[in-house]
Amino acid sequence: MSEDELRPPPIRPANWLPGIAAPAAEDIVSCVSCGLCLPHCPTFRLTGRETASPRGRIAAMRAVQEGQATVDATFRTMMDECLACRACETACPSGVPFGRMIEAARAQVEQVRPIRARGPRALGLKYVLPRPWAVYAAGTGLGLAQALRLDRLAPAAARVVSPRISLRQLARPLPQAMGTGPTAALLCGCVMDVAFRDVQRDTMRAVAGSGYRAVRFRPGGCCGALAMHYGYPEAARRMARERIAECEDAEVIVVNSAGCSNHMKTWGHLLADEPRWAARAEAAAARVRDLLEMPLVTRVRDLGTIACHDACHHVNGQALGPDLRRIVSSTGATPVEIPGGGHCCGAAGLYSVLEPELSAQLRRDKAEAISATGASSVAVANPGCAIQIAAGLREIASPIRVVHPAQLIR
Amino acid sequence: MGTVITPSAVDQFRAIVGSDRVLSEPLERLVYAKDGSMNQGECGLAVLCETTAEVAACVRLAAERGLPIVPRGSGTSLAGSAIPLDGSVVISVARMGRVLSVDPDTPSAWVEPGVLNLDLTAAVAHLGLHYAPDPSSQAACSIGGNVGTNAGGPHCLASGVTAQHILGVEIVLPDGEVLEIGGPAPDPPGYDLRGFIVGGEGTLGIVTKVCVRLTRNPPVVRTLLIDFTALTAAGAAVRDIIAKGVIPAAMEMMDRTMTRAVEAFVHAGLPVDAAAVLLVELDGTAAQVAADTAVVERICRESGASHIRVAADEAERALFWKARKNAFGACARIAPNYYLHDCVVPRTRLVEVLAAIEEIAARNDLVIMNVFHAGDGNLHPLISFDRRDDAQVTRVLQAGREIIEVCMRVGGTLSGEHGIGMEKRDFMPLQFSPADLDAQARSREAFDPEGRMNPRKVLPAGSKCGDLSFPHDALPEGTWI
Repeated sequence: MSEDELRPPPIRPANWLPGIAAPAAEDIVSCVSCGLCLPHCPTFRLTGRETASPRGRIAAMRAVQEGQATVDATFRTMMDECLACRACETACPSGVPFGRMIEAARAQVEQVRPIRARGPRALGLKYVLPRPWAVYAAGTGLGLAQALRLDRLAPAAARVVSPRISLRQLARPLPQAMGTGPTAALLCGCVMDVAFRDVQRDTMRAVAGSGYRAVRFRPGGCCGALAMHYGYPEAARRMARERIAECEDAEVIVVNSAGCSNHMKTWGHLLADEPRWAARAEAAAARVRDLLEMPLVTRVRDLGTIACHDACHHVNGQALGPDLRRIVSSTGATPVEIPGGGHCCGAAGLYSVLEPELSAQLRRDKAEAISATGASSVAVANPGCAIQIAAGLREIASPIRVVHPAQLIR
Repeated sequence: MGTVITPSAVDQFRAIVGSDRVLSEPLERLVYAKDGSMNQGECGLAVLCETTAEVAACVRLAAERGLPIVPRGSGTSLAGSAIPLDGSVVISVARMGRVLSVDPDTPSAWVEPGVLNLDLTAAVAHLGLHYAPDPSSQAACSIGGNVGTNAGGPHCLASGVTAQHILGVEIVLPDGEVLEIGGPAPDPPGYDLRGFIVGGEGTLGIVTKVCVRLTRNPPVVRTLLIDFTALTAAGAAVRDIIAKGVIPAAMEMMDRTMTRAVEAFVHAGLPVDAAAVLLVELDGTAAQVAADTAVVERICRESGASHIRVAADEAERALFWKARKNAFGACARIAPNYYLHDCVVPRTRLVEVLAAIEEIAARNDLVIMNVFHAGDGNLHPLISFDRRDDAQVTRVLQAGREIIEVCMRVGGTLSGEHGIGMEKRDFMPLQFSPADLDAQARSREAFDPEGRMNPRKVLPAGSKCGDLSFPHDALPEGTWI
């Protein structure tokens, strides 16, 4: 009697949807369900729900893998609720590669998403993001709406997390190249090029100032991270191939956004099954440098105290937390820690738009924690976080300014 | 044999806590059918409560409907205590995570059951205090769960297990009545039921508030990492240290396989070639720590220690402990599943039991790793396996039984700290006589006459004399047993 009860339930054939990326069986079994990830998961902390925890999400993946469940609406909600911040991955003693598991699971759930919700996602991720002109047009549209204050017509939840677009900045062309030395190819990216043009300019100066010839990718565009995170691996692969082809002559590929640099470093894995691209992708990935990893030459100025916000994809996967503090210190500023700094701010790619309720709670918590530091500004090296944190600080009427590390360097 | 939870019952739970805190979809229930052990049960419904009033209302509703209930904190239990069987309703207290009040003078605190063990220590750290019992899962496990299993931890060697640190509880009884038992006063009047509630594994009620004893931080702490070329030599050192009258704050051991698995995660420079690693922590005044260190170092060298490393600073000490406390979690680096035992054996018999476990592993062609609270003889032999291999599962269960039998034979006990749950339940007769089991079953029945709290856990079927293991009312009136 007892032994039968202790015997694990029988394993049936996997219920993954055929022909679509799915979490690997060997990745799933690398979780022993110890639960040490739970306290590190922002959505579990907020909800107390096992179904909103990494262990619960893996249990759901295991249930599909072992034929106990199917990819249904419940499974989709569980995967949608994940921030993909990968804090669980850093905490996991068994090294469960949760990031690539959730990406694969997201590809599965796109297939069971009602077409009305899937349409706009597919449009944005597959068609708008890869095209710089389309992103530019969308940014111009948003900037015009904000200038004419038409954005008040949009739902409040969406308005709060929209980046502020400066039409003046948009109209000002960015230089194509700067400095002398070995070539450093700069990723133009998607949102950075329309919402953070001043940061793009400062990044260029910073890289050029460090002895490189900084050149922007041509024609450039999205690195594919968002498509990968949100279940469109085919589109992500296409963007990877395009970007790789654009920057193969460069000595290094410099990226000033955490989510992008983290993703680009996995290009080798992403294109491993494509014989013509595998080696090129591996080589390109090895040359990717986050801006924080560059030997930046800084100048000491009076910047006061600066709170250091770790973008999830800087600390989980790249271990660049110390580099942010090093750069902040090197400018003469005093870096200060944000209480509960390890937790995601809730930006998480498109999370602030797709899961507004959970995201708003995380945004408020993060803004209050930053405010409690009493710093004069907060250093943020990822566009999603910058938009989210600026919104959060506005919501609580905090005077703290959001700055990108590139802006500290000049 | 499954419980039937009707849609109208689900609606009634929704009316109490709101629909977003009632999980009824098949996949959601599947997720709640597991804990930190290798086992799986069957969850009928999961309900997340936020207040004592909500818990009481849910328990009353379950009583009216005759539904079985299992309380759950973080679900990190290691013997299936938090696993619902036969479609029980899971009442989660994970959202009850507030530290309600702290009295720095007693020192004690009232906390909600969902507070995580390490969060409690963090919340009182500024007062120079901590909560002493520190299960290895302390970053994730809840105080409510600690109370339920009477959890231990490395530092329980000197400071005692959870029971010694629980001053009072508020508990919702199986009929929904709310009772406060004990409190910060040293000796509560009347029967002292705290010792019965602590370790009750959710079979007596649902604890909704806990009054914990807090402990002052020691002035000096020194942590030593000692490697041995033989597991048995380390075991002998442990025995001799205690015999010399030194009670370290903690004394932990890891074997080579375990050390290698965990080093791959923490990168602490652990001695991966040593047969055994002993982690000894000494605390107290500077003079006392210096004297104890000398004794420990001498005994370890005499027992054949090859190297002694003293943590240089707090960061290195934290790294040593990170290695120890992440050990179970790192096991997937060896194989996907583990079957974990928790026997306690007399320290004087440690050496022979470790040798016997090694033999059991070899004979059953299994990898058994050891990471345990050596100081109090609380073993954690961890059988590593892949559940997809049916034949291996059979050998795993066999080896588990053999380990328990060895431990019992040398005068050990079935569980030091993980609890009995479902996993060790049927081994209880190895430890207790029918009269013992009957007394325990009757005591449990005094709280839960209908047998609806965490049913089929802790006590095996037939524990009560005359118990035929089916409901009494199934027997026709007048039947003579």
